[in-house]
Amino acid sequence: MFSSSYQAKRGRIGLLLISPWVIGFVLLKLAPIVASFVFSLTDFNMLKPQDISFIGLSNYAALAQDETLWSVVFGTIGLAVITVPLQLLFALLLAALLSNESIIGRNFYRTLIFLPSIIPGIAVFSVWFGFVDPTSGWLNQLIMEPLGLPPYPGPNSESGRNLLLILLSLWNIGPAFLILSGAMMGVPKELYEAARVDGAGPVYRMLNITLPVISPAIFFSLLISLITVFGGSVLLDRSISFSSGFQSPVDWYIAEIMFGKQALGYAAGIAWIMFVLVMAIAVYLFRTADRWVFYPVE
Amino acid sequence: MSTNFSLKIWDSIGKIGINLIVLLVVVIYLFPISYMALTAVKDEAQFGDPNAPVWPSRKVEMEYEGEPYPLHVVPFEDGNRELLLVQPRRNASQFIDPAEPESGLIEWEGSWRTLEPVYESYFTFEAFSDWFEILDFRQVGYNTLVVVGLTEIGVVVVSVLVAYGFARFPIPYGNVLFLILIGTIILPEKITLIPTYFAFINLFEWQGTWWPLIAPHFFGSAVLIFLLRQNFRTIPRELEEAALIDGAGPMRILFSVILPMTWPTVVTVALLHFFFIWNETRLASLYLLSAPDKHPLVSSMLARGGFISGANNLQARALITMVVPTIVLFMSQKFFMRGVQITGLEK
Repeated sequence: MFSSSYQAKRGRIGLLLISPWVIGFVLLKLAPIVASFVFSLTDFNMLKPQDISFIGLSNYAALAQDETLWSVVFGTIGLAVITVPLQLLFALLLAALLSNESIIGRNFYRTLIFLPSIIPGIAVFSVWFGFVDPTSGWLNQLIMEPLGLPPYPGPNSESGRNLLLILLSLWNIGPAFLILSGAMMGVPKELYEAARVDGAGPVYRMLNITLPVISPAIFFSLLISLITVFGGSVLLDRSISFSSGFQSPVDWYIAEIMFGKQALGYAAGIAWIMFVLVMAIAVYLFRTADRWVFYPVE
Repeated sequence: MSTNFSLKIWDSIGKIGINLIVLLVVVIYLFPISYMALTAVKDEAQFGDPNAPVWPSRKVEMEYEGEPYPLHVVPFEDGNRELLLVQPRRNASQFIDPAEPESGLIEWEGSWRTLEPVYESYFTFEAFSDWFEILDFRQVGYNTLVVVGLTEIGVVVVSVLVAYGFARFPIPYGNVLFLILIGTIILPEKITLIPTYFAFINLFEWQGTWWPLIAPHFFGSAVLIFLLRQNFRTIPRELEEAALIDGAGPMRILFSVILPMTWPTVVTVALLHFFFIWNETRLASLYLLSAPDKHPLVSSMLARGGFISGANNLQARALITMVVPTIVLFMSQKFFMRGVQITGLEK
């Protein structure tokens, strides 16, 4: 319909339209990524930036020996292994429950489920620290004790801290829930009607119609949860400050090195290890996505 | 006829059942919020008192000869009586019956410490007024308005333009660029933070200014561009081509064809950014460290947290910081919950 010179002109217009993002990508993402790598090859320290010298891979050699680093990396992976599937399952369950048409006030309930995700980080932490406090909080007084369960030990113990991080992750499901809910509403009604005529029950319909149709949304939710647990922020900002203790263990360690010791070279080395790790997981997910994510023909 | 009837009964039992389940799940999910609300209106004295009930309350006190005395439950042989503790002693204390003070002091044997005080429900907003005393809410409100308003304009305008470019124009290597865009969503923030921090502080000397919080948003937000582009692509091409034949340029097509059909998603994206920037405290506390009077609301309440830290103050702070986003969420719930639709994440 249109000539090739016209297409080329439209291409240039398109390029102009996306140019702010391209410039932003180069200035705020690409250049810092490269700079981060360059930093990681130096002993750069914020306190004496003029003394910078090139030290090759020494930071990485030191990182390999750094026991704290490996314990925080495995701690973070462990946290991801528990919280990511938990968040996804919980968000799916709530979205499925609230897609039932006989529920009165569905939209109101959906908003209530989304509510904890828009509460500022400091509010979330004050609320949960107060709520689980072993002596004055409600968790032990109103839930554990009446049910005859062992009391919660408080957020300062190792197990108490991990349990709190897991509970907190359930208050972060907003974006995933929103995306999964939206996808479930978008499933064509005819598909369900046809299955119902064939005598398919609700479980069958969920497994064989809903889940395959919304699989792109599931994939996207999975990515969001994964990024969030590794310290990224997508649609939702949860951490309080870079130096606060309540973030993933690796994030805490980078902040400690970066702002505590001001050793940017060493911190950049850790950030690069994180970068490689997250990218490896993301590439692996994209690879396996071929097998389970259903792409509609466009 | 009768099987039909019993089917209907089972159907309504099922409906009631699922409604109750949902109600229960939501109540449990939001339970900590009720803790926050009730703790924020508690009286300071209640926190150190081990006998105090869970709800906001205070000890009942009554006057006797011009002095206030606390009411206690005192056990006698013929049952419990509620009496004012006038003279506490370890072995025997003296009480007054508030119903008939003229009958004089009543002796009671035993340690008064074993007696339970009588409580009445009592709410106070002192924890909130403490915050209003140490924070200049006019200044803080102005700061919040500047940061939220400017980033909102930047991020929405730029993200719409970029998404329109990706959705509708044959950009050379457009697919590769779009893959890179998705890649930047996954990028851990820490990897770009270190050089960016250094550049902002040392090269641009942006410490103590709003620039580091505002400027990056004028390059658009990858995840918002992604959501908008997905939505723009659902608009049939034919509509656009009709306008093209009428001689409309790209901008007129955006405003007269695309945006009128996709504005709920644009508003949703603006709201998502609002919630994000309202909650943002990491960059604010990093770059505004030296300028305490430039903090937006949430980060300024975070920065002043050390000054008042009673349990009721902490929960009052939580309530103050969440009240605006909560109102915005409930006002916009009608289309907000439908605005985000991801179907077919093509590669």
